[in-house]
Amino acid sequence: MELIKRLGLNKNEVGNESHIAVNTDICINCTDKPCTKVCPAGTYEEDKEKILIVHYERCVECGAALLACPYGALKFHYPEKGISYMYG
Amino acid sequence: MDYDVDVAIVGGGLSGLSAAITAAKNGLSVIVLERGDYSGSKNVSGGRMYVHSLKRLVGDKFKDAPLELPIKKETFEVYNNGRKTTFSFENKENDNSYSVLRSKFDRWLASEAENSGVAISYSTLVTNVRREDGIMVVESNRGDIRTPLVIESDGASSFVSRYLGLSDIGMNYKMENVKNLLGNNNFQAKNFMLGIKEIVERKAEDSAGEAKTILGLTDGIKGGGFVYTNKNSYSIGLTLKMDSLESNNIKSHEIIEKYRENLGMDGKILEYSAHLIPFYRYDYLPKRYDDNLLVTGDAAGFMLNDGFTIRGMDLAIESGMIAGNAAKKITDSKDYSDTYIYEKMLEDSFVLKDLKAASKISSLFGNERTFNVYPSIISNLIDTMFTVTDSPRENIKNVIRNEIKNNNISYFTVINDLLKVI
Repeated sequence: MELIKRLGLNKNEVGNESHIAVNTDICINCTDKPCTKVCPAGTYEEDKEKILIVHYERCVECGAALLACPYGALKFHYPEKGISYMYG
Repeated sequence: MDYDVDVAIVGGGLSGLSAAITAAKNGLSVIVLERGDYSGSKNVSGGRMYVHSLKRLVGDKFKDAPLELPIKKETFEVYNNGRKTTFSFENKENDNSYSVLRSKFDRWLASEAENSGVAISYSTLVTNVRREDGIMVVESNRGDIRTPLVIESDGASSFVSRYLGLSDIGMNYKMENVKNLLGNNNFQAKNFMLGIKEIVERKAEDSAGEAKTILGLTDGIKGGGFVYTNKNSYSIGLTLKMDSLESNNIKSHEIIEKYRENLGMDGKILEYSAHLIPFYRYDYLPKRYDDNLLVTGDAAGFMLNDGFTIRGMDLAIESGMIAGNAAKKITDSKDYSDTYIYEKMLEDSFVLKDLKAASKISSLFGNERTFNVYPSIISNLIDTMFTVTDSPRENIKNVIRNEIKNNNISYFTVINDLLKVI
């Protein structure tokens, strides 16, 4: 099943403001972009110009990207609402 | 000293609720701050709980606990290049562990806590914790709470410890390590695994659960898989070492798709979830106590894998209960800097004893051989023994010797690894 469809199974109340901030000046020099590999929700994507895009509305709040970012380019706080699992 | 409650507990999951129930039974005033709309809404676990601690926590109410199925069958499956080796053990009498779905379960435990006099504040996001005049100030979107004692039960990412270790979180992009606790370098990829899980619909109706541990379907990433049987669903998932995941080129959400396809599970997918799992070696566990602070469950890194059992939930409940009892002693002594008593109680319990006992075998889960070499050796060995060709049959001893040689490892290494298991 496509990732976006899988994420669509979950209840996720997304706020108007992103709870994730990235310093793209740092990310532009990061070649591996480990955040894009570890994130299970595809929150972090690289566009054609190698610029990091953050789809904060996909985030399932697992925390993986916080450990993966080698340059401290990521600022994260939990959203006020966000994901609510029905099974867990 | 002026404060609002005896104990504030950050996080209303298993360890937080267990701490709250125990502290309330001890006569302390307790508030639990839970970020979700209900307990369990933010929680994911593989889905199997060893229930001994729960039974002691809730007593007679255990029979009402919304568990899924008792696990009566243990299966290990090793996949390698289209081959599969299976080992199973079944005991119809077994009921020491159950499959569990946390959204339902934690909600029930939260209602039990409320019945014991615990106040739970839901939809409450703790945004900072700081010390002020010998007590703690817990800041949240619902206001501040002043308390002499905080029990940190906020899961693997342990934000409370981070807040306390940070001088100026607002100005920093980097997720800083905990500066005021021992072991400053705790928040590193190598100390965590990523758990990714899918709930798949199940139509069968038998009432005995099975727990499967699966090796060899992680695309070369260090880690393993599980399948647990619930009443009307399967919990299927992977636990992947974060450092291994970072240094490979496949995305975590692609690995789990391939995994489910390889398992041949084609039921309807009901939910997709992910969570961090602590994976410290015993000697590198974060410090679990500080002035005005006790740390429990995942936040304290309490997860163990001894090759046969994988446990986090019973350790969470037990450490929560111990923290609830320690809170009583600390409150009575009025010396909130003497939290070492909690550490002593943990040392006397199975929590630290079992973690220590599992530490030797845990080192196997950090090494390449466990995930790639040994599955290949086992599959080749069995494959050879079941295959008849024109060539004369080899003695099994020679087959083993050749396999070890072909994989470029020494007997010494194999024996050393084997000794960790035994």
